[in-house]
Amino acid sequence: MDRGYLGFAARRVGQALVVVLLAYVVTFVVISVLPGDPVTNTLRNPENGFTEADVARIVAYYGLDQPVLVQLWESLSRFATGDLGVSLRSNLPVSQTIGDVLGSTAVLAAAALAVAVALAVLIAFGTQYLPVRAQGVLRALPSLFLSVPNFVIGLVLIHVFALQLGLFRVIYPDSAWATSFAALALGIPVSAQLAEVLTAGLDHESRQEYASVARSRGLGRTRLLLRHLLRPSSLPVVTVLALTVGELLGGALITETIFGRTGIGSLVESSVTTQDLPVLQAVVSLAAVVFVVVNLVADLVHPLLDPRVRKPPTRPSAEREVLAQEVSTP
Amino acid sequence: MSNTPPLLRVQGLSVAYDRTEVVSDVSFSLPRGGSLALIGESGSGKSTIARSVLRLLPAGTARARGVVEVGGTDVLGLSERRFRPLRGRTLGFVPQDPANALNAVRTIGAQAQEAAALTGERDARARRELVLETFSRVGLREPRRVYDAHPHQLSGGMLQRVLIGLAVLPRPALLVADEPTSALDVTVQRRVLDLLTGLRADLGIGLLLITHDLAVAAERAEQIVVLRGGRVQESGPTAQVFSAPRTQYARALQADVPALNPDRHRLPLPARAPAAAAPAGAAPKIEVRDVVKSFPGAGAPAVDGVSFSVAAGTTHALVGESGSGKTTTVRLLLGLDAPDTGEVRVAGERLDGRSHEQLRTARRHLQLVYQNPFTSLDPTWRVDRIVREPLDRYRVGERAGREERVRELLARVGLDERLARRRPSALSGGQRQRVAIARALALEPDVLVLDEPTSALDVTVQAGIVDVLVTLQRQLGLTYLFVSHDLALVRQFADTVTVLRAGRVVESGTVEAVFTDPSEEYTRALLRAVPRPLGVVPRQPGAPAPAPAPTAG
Repeated sequence: MDRGYLGFAARRVGQALVVVLLAYVVTFVVISVLPGDPVTNTLRNPENGFTEADVARIVAYYGLDQPVLVQLWESLSRFATGDLGVSLRSNLPVSQTIGDVLGSTAVLAAAALAVAVALAVLIAFGTQYLPVRAQGVLRALPSLFLSVPNFVIGLVLIHVFALQLGLFRVIYPDSAWATSFAALALGIPVSAQLAEVLTAGLDHESRQEYASVARSRGLGRTRLLLRHLLRPSSLPVVTVLALTVGELLGGALITETIFGRTGIGSLVESSVTTQDLPVLQAVVSLAAVVFVVVNLVADLVHPLLDPRVRKPPTRPSAEREVLAQEVSTP
Repeated sequence: MSNTPPLLRVQGLSVAYDRTEVVSDVSFSLPRGGSLALIGESGSGKSTIARSVLRLLPAGTARARGVVEVGGTDVLGLSERRFRPLRGRTLGFVPQDPANALNAVRTIGAQAQEAAALTGERDARARRELVLETFSRVGLREPRRVYDAHPHQLSGGMLQRVLIGLAVLPRPALLVADEPTSALDVTVQRRVLDLLTGLRADLGIGLLLITHDLAVAAERAEQIVVLRGGRVQESGPTAQVFSAPRTQYARALQADVPALNPDRHRLPLPARAPAAAAPAGAAPKIEVRDVVKSFPGAGAPAVDGVSFSVAAGTTHALVGESGSGKTTTVRLLLGLDAPDTGEVRVAGERLDGRSHEQLRTARRHLQLVYQNPFTSLDPTWRVDRIVREPLDRYRVGERAGREERVRELLARVGLDERLARRRPSALSGGQRQRVAIARALALEPDVLVLDEPTSALDVTVQAGIVDVLVTLQRQLGLTYLFVSHDLALVRQFADTVTVLRAGRVVESGTVEAVFTDPSEEYTRALLRAVPRPLGVVPRQPGAPAPAPAPTAG
């Protein structure tokens, strides 16, 4: 790996760290300016059964008697060491609360991403293989997918496959079947953008002169597509893919609710309704970290896919040298 | 049949895009190992014919009728599956713009492997050897470095060598070269053409050459087919078409080639602008003295001690290959960059070290016509607004007066008034460059800097633009600084010339002196790059020049 790339990677990682810290700070500020005092409301709620001594201990632990800036600094230093605090509702460490549900959401998001990429590739490749007339249907699919909200897709899937056909049980949502249908509901709208960008890229690249020249070397359609067109076309797809991760996180909330799954989405929902601020703060920060890391990976992959970004063009002098030869030996 | 079929026979070929027919009833044939040039301006259908032969027309929109036989097989009728074995093995293709003809994200070697695979060689290492051998054969001096490089790391000339190498590697019977050198410098152009014709002779490959340059066609092909508007105007052996063109159009094409008509624009001195006849010793209009300019990060200075001066009302040419410092010199002259040392004077006033505001005033008298009219005009503006912009910027006259001035300017450059409401995309390249000239003239400058103003245009269109420039100079007494790498054009158009190489002046003087008796070997090398058609000597000064043909811009 050349030094230019390592320098670029180091700078990019630094930027990512700054973004994560800023996201944490912004979340903290937004939560702290919210009206009311949800912390003490929750703590003094008789149902939670905290004694005044407990309350005092927790208030001191979070430094809630300190000025906001000091609180921010304390909270930030804990965040930096991986300590996410304690849930106000369950009195369990936040990291444990999140850890319990993270796996389920990660599986759902990964499956949805796989569905999205697979659909997008199918649609985009289809447009390159089918005759012009038959392409119309395929090219219309992405806009159809985009215009249907994912909860509608989810409800239709549940209605048809769970209620009519009885294929999977809604009340036992951790089966592979249930997960795949949830992934389908979450992945279909996401696939639309990917499909559009990939199709546009393949269309553009196949019109380039190099594609004609490669065909003149006897390359068939499949080799042309896989060896020549796919890599340059996938450059914008990588960027869009990173952006859709945000969409997956947001979509997971709705999808989990519809399919009755426990996950980050249901955790956010319950922590918002119960004003469980440490959990909320941690989940938002986690989302920021995921988003930043995914975009960081996309940025780091980009130069690997496109050598023009990787190295500055080295202006060769060979051409002039040849002339120099010609000149010196008339 | 007693005799073997020709290598390529095209009979009654017509091609239509959607419903517009762009090639109509074209017929020609090429014997095995022979060479034939299709020549014509853009839109004449020459590239469409080449792509029909290669079956690379855009699928779905283009429809070809007629017969295209390669070695007796009608390729238009074949299914793609049956035609594919012919690709590369029988039909090789050398494209027009080497910069876009290779996949930018893959190494040259990976793409070369595809060509090597056509030979049937199974072993990847043996294929690599084959590629390296071919790279040496086409004059690439570091085959290994080229093999591992990505396209953006090589120059245009080197890329074109790579592409020629890949096309000839599987030893095709026919090579189709679509304007193989029009994107390259003249000197590189000549070497690439030499390579192409040399390989053709060595390997016995037939050549179908597509070009807009009659001089190149005549120099490189045994037969010529002249096309216009998709129809064959004239065809036959080169010597015949060239020395005794039968059609008006072929004669016009010939008259437009600078290399064949060095004195087309040269006038007897008394007829020139009064300023040109100014007594010797008068202050030069442009004076550049010992300018040096380095850019951070680059090794040698881009411009290193360049001096020249231009008398009022004359044309001075800056000549050199890419990287010789032409563009940097122009930027210094326009005040876009400041020289490290040395000075630039226009009309006696120093340009360097001025404030922004003063430069703005100075620029009124100093205008630029850019190289590429396809990118230098805002595509969303209409012609009248483009031409009026400088008048608006400097608040010249009343609004109504400006409209009137725009009409006058368009008339001066030979553009119909009706074009004023069009956008650039609805204009041809020649018309666009006329718009650019009209805009440059709007503020009544004394000096026009012409940065390769015709290098993006066809020969016939170029002749029209040069006519306009010569007429304007005569009428308005303009001084031109003309940047070019085309020596034939410089000879036609300029009075004095400075030859640059790697940022230094190699030679300078009057065009007559430098061209007839160059003192430097580098200048001689540049002059050798001018095409010399088979057995045709450019007219000597004094011989009657052909009447300039009427040309549509």
